[in-house]
Amino acid sequence: MAHSSSGPPSYPQPSGLGQALRRPSYAAVAASVTPRLVTLEQSGSHGHHPAASMQARGEQQPQAVGMLARPRAGSMNMSMSMDMDGQGGQTATTARRGVWGGDRLGCPQHEDHPPFFTPSYLRQSRHAQRLRRAYDEHVAELQEHARLNPPKPPPPLSASSSNGNLHKMHASHVHQRPVVQDVLERHPPPSEEVDRSHPLPTRWSEEDKMSGLEIQSEGTEVRFGGTTKTPDEAASIRADHAMPKECGIYYFEVTILSRGKDGLVGIGFSTRKAALNRLPGWEAESWAYHGDDGFFFACSASGKAYGPRFSSNDVIGCGVNFRTNEAFFTRNGVYLGVAFNGIKSEKHQYYPSVGMKKPGEHLRINLGRTPFVFDIDHMMEQERQAIMAKIDKADVSALHPPDTEGTLIHKLIGQYLAHEGYVDTAKAFAKDVHEQQQSLFRDPQPFTPPDSEDDIHAINRQKIRRSILDGDIDRALKYTSSYYPHVLEEERNRDIYFRLKCRKFIEMMRRYTELVTATSSPATVTKSIDSLGSNGHANTGTRTAEDEDEEDDQEEDDGEEGQDTQMELDNQLHRETSRPPRDDIPTDDIDMDASQEELPPKASFMKKDDLLTSALHYGQELQVEFGGDPRQQVKKELRDLFAIIAYPNPAESPIGALLDQRGRGRIAEEVNGAILVSLGKPSSAALERLCAQTEAMLDEVAAKGGGAAALVSVRDDFLRP
Amino acid sequence: MGLRNVVLPHWKKGWKRYVVLKLPRKTNWQSTNTNTNLANKSDINWVIMDYLVSEGYPGAAEKFAQETNVPGPVDNESIRERVRVRNAIHGGRLAEAIELINDIDPEILDNNHLLHFHLLQLQLIEIIRTILAKPGSNPVATDFLPAIKFATEQLSPRAPTDPKYQQALERTMALMIFPPEKMTPEFKELLDEKLRQKVAVDVNRAILESRGERSEAKIRQLIKARAWAEHEVRAAKVDLPAYVPLGLDAADEVGGDDGDAMVS
Repeated sequence: MAHSSSGPPSYPQPSGLGQALRRPSYAAVAASVTPRLVTLEQSGSHGHHPAASMQARGEQQPQAVGMLARPRAGSMNMSMSMDMDGQGGQTATTARRGVWGGDRLGCPQHEDHPPFFTPSYLRQSRHAQRLRRAYDEHVAELQEHARLNPPKPPPPLSASSSNGNLHKMHASHVHQRPVVQDVLERHPPPSEEVDRSHPLPTRWSEEDKMSGLEIQSEGTEVRFGGTTKTPDEAASIRADHAMPKECGIYYFEVTILSRGKDGLVGIGFSTRKAALNRLPGWEAESWAYHGDDGFFFACSASGKAYGPRFSSNDVIGCGVNFRTNEAFFTRNGVYLGVAFNGIKSEKHQYYPSVGMKKPGEHLRINLGRTPFVFDIDHMMEQERQAIMAKIDKADVSALHPPDTEGTLIHKLIGQYLAHEGYVDTAKAFAKDVHEQQQSLFRDPQPFTPPDSEDDIHAINRQKIRRSILDGDIDRALKYTSSYYPHVLEEERNRDIYFRLKCRKFIEMMRRYTELVTATSSPATVTKSIDSLGSNGHANTGTRTAEDEDEEDDQEEDDGEEGQDTQMELDNQLHRETSRPPRDDIPTDDIDMDASQEELPPKASFMKKDDLLTSALHYGQELQVEFGGDPRQQVKKELRDLFAIIAYPNPAESPIGALLDQRGRGRIAEEVNGAILVSLGKPSSAALERLCAQTEAMLDEVAAKGGGAAALVSVRDDFLRP
Repeated sequence: MGLRNVVLPHWKKGWKRYVVLKLPRKTNWQSTNTNTNLANKSDINWVIMDYLVSEGYPGAAEKFAQETNVPGPVDNESIRERVRVRNAIHGGRLAEAIELINDIDPEILDNNHLLHFHLLQLQLIEIIRTILAKPGSNPVATDFLPAIKFATEQLSPRAPTDPKYQQALERTMALMIFPPEKMTPEFKELLDEKLRQKVAVDVNRAILESRGERSEAKIRQLIKARAWAEHEVRAAKVDLPAYVPLGLDAADEVGGDDGDAMVS
């Protein structure tokens, strides 16, 4: 910490002096797994390592935001960041600095947050998507934090206190979690958990290089300015991160900007054990393609003939396929074939590396920020096709013996429909399947719908879902509290209850919006009012709405078996007897009836001003009920919610997405899940579990050896058109 | 947004190793649902709708659209069309099936000779099946005349175009020679209902392809991917119970407190 007041903080910083001072950029820290990369400042920070800890713990409590504001955790970094930002703004010289440097996010760990980039061939990679999410969450968290906590003068800081913490922090850098989270978390995660935050290489490393090498152009270029004394000696450099095997294939390109006189350039990869004072390929644990003779060297001073020589203005690509464990090179977009087939991804971390010998030699690396010369996307796609073809040949007979593929699919779908309470679909599906099977036989058997004990619950859940999907939150609350009185009172469901209540506000604003648009174009008025009558209005004070529901159900069932009708009646009777009279529904705990009378009665015309007033009124109630919640997320949610009122036409406002109808589906699923759990059933159906298992297995394999599993995404490959 | 650890339930039993998934907490505040690789309900609903539409379950597709607010099939009639073809093939009414297919798009069979041949071969099999099924003693040679007539008129002109066709025709004709009780499995499978199913599936795919739609429902790939992933995990020597249940059977839930993914 000796230089803390004198070191130039500006970035990029060609000399080594500033390194110890500069807080690393997000990309540089994102998961510097090896302690070697941890700089002083980083260790001196409170040790919360956003990407790593989020990935490693999978745990990020909302409180973490609050924690950042604590003096203990942030004091030193705050001071640094104030400092940096002040000077950084003045010394902004590069475009990057101008845009991202001093980004004033007040991040305690990172100096700046260069835009995250995903190389084109990794767009479908699960690993790259995961890294992107971690990055986005980190930045969003910081922005939120910055908004809530305007910069304030840092408390005085004694160097000794930070040094006192230094060692401990350093040692447990990656796996340390913020103290607050430790306290909150009841069960520590399993210790075998693997850190999977391996970030993509983003630039040349400032630390992991031979002296005499100058890094230029935001870490993309490297130039040799020194001299070599012996013929053997050279200067090598590695990228900031290893090539993650989770990518399946990793590829980068190096442009020879200048080769120097009688120069010698080697391009390849190495582990961090390989010495940097010789060319990659000659040292142990390094592999490279050399420009002077076109040879490929694998940890040896004697190479084998591989490709053409290369020189100034050539673009050399290097790729590693972690499925086949092969490395290949390209020259000016032409594939040169497999150079090496002994990649040991479980044992080694391979870093992109180059080395050079002569002064003036100058290379530029492209790690995917700009398009590649070689069509790596095509190679990646072929690789994916090959894997999909393999998957297509997979034998599913062991999944659920003795079921065949077709039977298994029928069972999975049937179970999902029943589990989720899609009662009508389940019946229709059983009927369709039956018909299909019977069409094979000469004497078809009549269809007898399966009789299930779950039907009552299924129908209850169906009603609740229907109410939410119709936007009638009051009816949904009413059903829920009469069928499952305690579900929404449970502590674990309090967020669901909160969002349900918020949804009611949203629905009120939706109605208001409808009226606003309707009155502005008279032709649609009637239609809008009609649709309100059948859909949106909470008419829960009377039996009417429900009676209609029953009639609807019965009409639909008339075409089928008499049994259905009987069951429906039974069900109705059951409800009549088991449900407490409406007036007796306890309202002390859940304040569900509070605003009922303000809702417009069915088919009566409601002036939009009245609607707005009642929405406001209800908003105040929400504030009373939930405003005391200490969690930032709840406060933010409420704030966003009330902001809707400010806009004359909320649907077209920046927060118009809140009004989206699809929000209904989400909350409906959540309520359904909560009820299932309260009934002692798993909250996810077998089909969902199958997806989760597949994803977990793919993750496991990809993390272990990279390879084929890295290129498959359950969601993108199988749950999308 | 927070994350939660989810330990897959059935993997828990061994207590040797966990597979911990990083799921977004259920407290998705806004549109965070789009932020995960993991399937949510609307993904599952999509894959089910995809199956109902492409494999022809029109009644269920219609109800499902109503119950989930998922956009339903654009054209339910086109599903029913395919269902009619499927039912005709399943019922052994091949002439009707071919006619229906040609009503949908005559180019389907014009462009797909192999499929057309399979349909005609199945039609011949159905004719033979009817003759074999006639009550009374074993059929006499003259009973087979309609079958032979159909074979010579419809199938034999195609046979020379491809050795595969020729072989298939020869095998089918042999059905008339063997008495049913002496048939080898190779011939019996021609008379098996599974052949009808297989041809019906092929026809369904061809119709979908002719409309420029995906010919296979994604859920088929999904469960294959599950099987493949398990194979890969075992090949990578990750510790895994001998059988990882899907949770379809009540017995799977025994031992777990709620049978669901453990949330910590």
